[in-house]
Amino acid sequence: MTLTPEKTDKVAVPEQRRHAMQVRKRNGETEPVDVNKIVTAVERWVADLDEVDPLRVATKTISGLYDGATTAELDKLSIQTAAELISEEPQYSRLAARLLATFVEKEVSEEGVTTFSESIKLGHDEGLISDETAAFVATNAEKLDAAINDDANLKFEYFGLRTVADRYLLRHPTKRTIIETPQHWLLRVACGLSQNVDEAIGFYRLMSSLAYLPSSPTLFNSGTRHTQMSSCFLVDSPKDELDSIYERYHQVAKLSKFSGGIGISWSRVRGRGALIRGTNGKSNGIVPFLKTLDAGVAAVNQGGRRKGAACVYLEPWHPDIEEFLELRDNTGEESRRTHNLNLANWIPDEFMRRVEADEDWSLIDPSDAPELPDLFGAEFDEAYKAAEKNAVKTVKARDLYGRMMRTLAQTGNGWMTFKDPSNRLSNQTGAPGNTIHLSNLCTEILEVNSDDETAVCNLGSINLGGHITAGGVDWEKLRATVRTAVTFLDRVIDINFYPSDQAAKSNPRWRPVGLGLMGLQDAFFMLRLPFDSAEARELSTRVQEEIFLTALESSALLAERFGPHPAYPETRAAKGDLHPDLWGATVSQTERWAAVKAKIAAHGLRNSLLIAIAPTATIASIAGCYECIEPQVSNLFKRETMSGEFLQINTYLVRELKTRGLWTAPIREAIKRAEGSVQGINELPAEVRELFRTAWELPQKALIELAAARAPYIDQSQSLNLFMAAPTINKVSSMYLYAWKAGLKTSYYLRSRPATRIQQATVAVSAPPVVSPVVSLIPALTEAEICSLENPESCEACQ
Amino acid sequence: MLLDPGMDLTLRPMKYPHFFDRFKDAIKNTWTVEEVDLHGDLADLAKLSPAEQHLVSRLVAFFATGDTIVANNLVLNLYQHVNSPEGRLYLSRQLFEEAVHVQFYLNLLDTYVPNEQERFEAFAAVENIPSIARKAEFCFKWIDSVFELRALETKEHRRAFLLNVICFAACIEGLFFYGAFAYVYFLRSRGLLQGLASGTNWVFRDESMHMAFAFDVVDQVRAEEPDLFDAGMEQQVRDMLSEAVECEVQFAADLLEQGVSGMSLTDMREYLQHVADRRLEALGIAPIYGSKNPFAFMELQDVQELSNFFERRVSAYQVGVTGSVSFDDDF
Repeated sequence: MTLTPEKTDKVAVPEQRRHAMQVRKRNGETEPVDVNKIVTAVERWVADLDEVDPLRVATKTISGLYDGATTAELDKLSIQTAAELISEEPQYSRLAARLLATFVEKEVSEEGVTTFSESIKLGHDEGLISDETAAFVATNAEKLDAAINDDANLKFEYFGLRTVADRYLLRHPTKRTIIETPQHWLLRVACGLSQNVDEAIGFYRLMSSLAYLPSSPTLFNSGTRHTQMSSCFLVDSPKDELDSIYERYHQVAKLSKFSGGIGISWSRVRGRGALIRGTNGKSNGIVPFLKTLDAGVAAVNQGGRRKGAACVYLEPWHPDIEEFLELRDNTGEESRRTHNLNLANWIPDEFMRRVEADEDWSLIDPSDAPELPDLFGAEFDEAYKAAEKNAVKTVKARDLYGRMMRTLAQTGNGWMTFKDPSNRLSNQTGAPGNTIHLSNLCTEILEVNSDDETAVCNLGSINLGGHITAGGVDWEKLRATVRTAVTFLDRVIDINFYPSDQAAKSNPRWRPVGLGLMGLQDAFFMLRLPFDSAEARELSTRVQEEIFLTALESSALLAERFGPHPAYPETRAAKGDLHPDLWGATVSQTERWAAVKAKIAAHGLRNSLLIAIAPTATIASIAGCYECIEPQVSNLFKRETMSGEFLQINTYLVRELKTRGLWTAPIREAIKRAEGSVQGINELPAEVRELFRTAWELPQKALIELAAARAPYIDQSQSLNLFMAAPTINKVSSMYLYAWKAGLKTSYYLRSRPATRIQQATVAVSAPPVVSPVVSLIPALTEAEICSLENPESCEACQ
Repeated sequence: MLLDPGMDLTLRPMKYPHFFDRFKDAIKNTWTVEEVDLHGDLADLAKLSPAEQHLVSRLVAFFATGDTIVANNLVLNLYQHVNSPEGRLYLSRQLFEEAVHVQFYLNLLDTYVPNEQERFEAFAAVENIPSIARKAEFCFKWIDSVFELRALETKEHRRAFLLNVICFAACIEGLFFYGAFAYVYFLRSRGLLQGLASGTNWVFRDESMHMAFAFDVVDQVRAEEPDLFDAGMEQQVRDMLSEAVECEVQFAADLLEQGVSGMSLTDMREYLQHVADRRLEALGIAPIYGSKNPFAFMELQDVQELSNFFERRVSAYQVGVTGSVSFDDDF
């Protein structure tokens, strides 16, 4: 520091700086802070972390400490300090995770828990663990306690374990202290779904290797007293009457309370200006009702763990469609805005055809054509055309489509989901009267529902990165994972607690599950395949075929033992048509497909649906992999969650840079300056830069084509985000028309970036000479001649 | 020239198109106070230690009046003397943003401080809390220095005006606010007060633009009248920034007086010196301190965000998308 002495004198320097700093121990005594003690605590964990400097962690920790802090504060600060060094050296992430695991174990042992069975007993005594799980664990205590593998903690990255510690581990109901270690937690989840001890240990080992994880509700609630383990609920539109609307509010609240994400259609409710016969008044339309739904969703938080969330689906012929598309705008009348609801368009092909042909589009009140939500394909087209003579209003199809695109570009919301392919290409719509009316909160679930049946799905995702060896995909391991996953996803259906009667009615009949995939980007990095390469597309398709095929085999095996799901005769599979047949896809494993068909013909399927690619936002971070089928968003980015902010760095890139001697402070700064892009780092060969492109730098056409190529092996759908740094209506409208033509059933967020940005607080004002600037920083957007991610229209090179 | 006295009304031909570009960019960043959900913060406030509560209450008291002072200077001084219609367009927009910030902090105090008497005291902080009063004094000193100037007739006038611009950009928006943001992001890095942090993200984005615009003005004037920037002027700027650092350090000493784990006064001082150096660099003046940023959580602010949508409203979307439906654009 070069602050001159007389200036320092003017500043009130606290007394604490003048003597050796003290910490207060748990027993109330104080002792001087000892650097060596911290160094020793860190050294215990660094055997395989050669780049970690324990002394650095220790001195930095002390610099942030104040005199008289407690030892617990010291421990927490050392974890935080290690975490803050991740941007320099990713190994600090593992170190921070291990320090955190030690901290958690200390807390748990202070509750008198040293073994798994003790943890379950305490949880049961405190009313958290179910009687069945407690009894199961008590009976098998010795074997289960011995199965706990604390070394599995070494696999966690800091962000993942932090999330686990803050939100997944059971806490004492009054003291709020943690009463299970991370490994206890995973074994508890396994025991809650198991019928014998070997099965439990096998499932535990799979999860603790992070090669597969069930979705959050299962991870939260398995083995506990309230076993709501499903992620998704699809609620049909209320009927066009007040009682039905208020029943839906009640149902949504109940579903939301137990951590479910909700999709709800509103297409049956009449629009603004329609006659209400009972009072001879006119309707105010759907917006005031959605405003009430919005408030209801915000009021119910999911057990304190996350806010309730819902997505409303509307078909584009509904008379209130234009107001619907404004619900998320941040300007205009607040009484007509819903900031907590997500919005999705449920689009019939006829609409897209008219957009393409630049024709008119009729808005029709549901009270004039109540059958429209239940129809798809040619039947819908016919009924729609017949109803057009009573149209409330006629608009240009392109104007309405443009309005949809504007909503997507401005809010990311108003997802495009396609009613006809969703129904035509579904196993559940094999019998007349069975219709899929909407997708779910994350647009990967497509299941039939009705007024008295709410569709339910429980999910889990395979971490593909955990199934890659030097030679490529470990197919045998992948098959083994799928078999275990399907068994336990199916198990949830019977053990699950259903928060509403409508949900309890639907799930046993259809027994759908959603086995997903995460870490596709990890696999591509490991095998050095650029995301948009033909090889990547082929691999992704073959992986998906393998997963679906194995899942069908597993489900047929379950059907052989327990019988097919009750609605099996209503499915397309019962007629011999499997999902790839509906697509007309050319399968690669012809013999196995023939064999599984024969098996299904003989025994049926235990599950009407098996595959759905969920966004995996949280479980991917627990597993330390990239989300679902998505490309990396940036080589360096920040995650914001309820646990705080976390830096995520592409460790594959770091490894690459290290082997080239390029992992230096100036390069790190250049990556940060370019917001996580490496395209301006000329020291890297072109093919390496190509490999490490971000989602913003990839052609979105490739993402759509990858999705379309794997789609025949996904019997539900996929949460497909699309990325456009600076969207224009022209680009967005071209993109979604392409997605529809490619045959996609659904799409998800359109992600864009802020128009301007915060001035970077920590990178130097002038660019270091080592790289040519890709992104102009200061002034932010005036140097239009420089290619900028914020302003890609000035340069086509990075798109 | 930009600071010539008068009221230029002609937008075509446009003399300073980069000012107009800033105006258009700013509009894309529109946000409203209603989008910030402060509800979750209330539970956090109850959890805070007494030392952290003290920090938050002082911080909030600073926010209560900070943006109002900036808005006043904008109207009373900046708008009057920046004689460019496109520059004034930007300033009008900035004024709107300052008003939104004032409304945000008003809403924040109404939510955080339910007791009416305590709330009145928070708004009176400029008078009652010495560490805040000292900062306010600094601001007023530089408002008053040009307040009497109706037209910038002489080089001395223009120098005085530039010092005012630099004070508000580099010291007040660029240092006092950056200091305040550091406390907010420190708390957020601990998973606390996410509502405040999400609103602050937007305020931060706006303030970055305000500062950048002000530096544009300085650069423009420098290009038009290089001799204004003599050694004396440079020394005045350095003195001003070191005084600002002192003001902010004494504020930090007050905020942190009870000991906050993870944010020591030593680190905070170093951070402020680092920020001050960067402002000087942006003005083409040699740094004073040579300090490094000790706060890794501030590094996080430089990195693009990816919100888990279950938890947070994503703040990255744009307003003002252009174009029309087409089917053959590249994507």
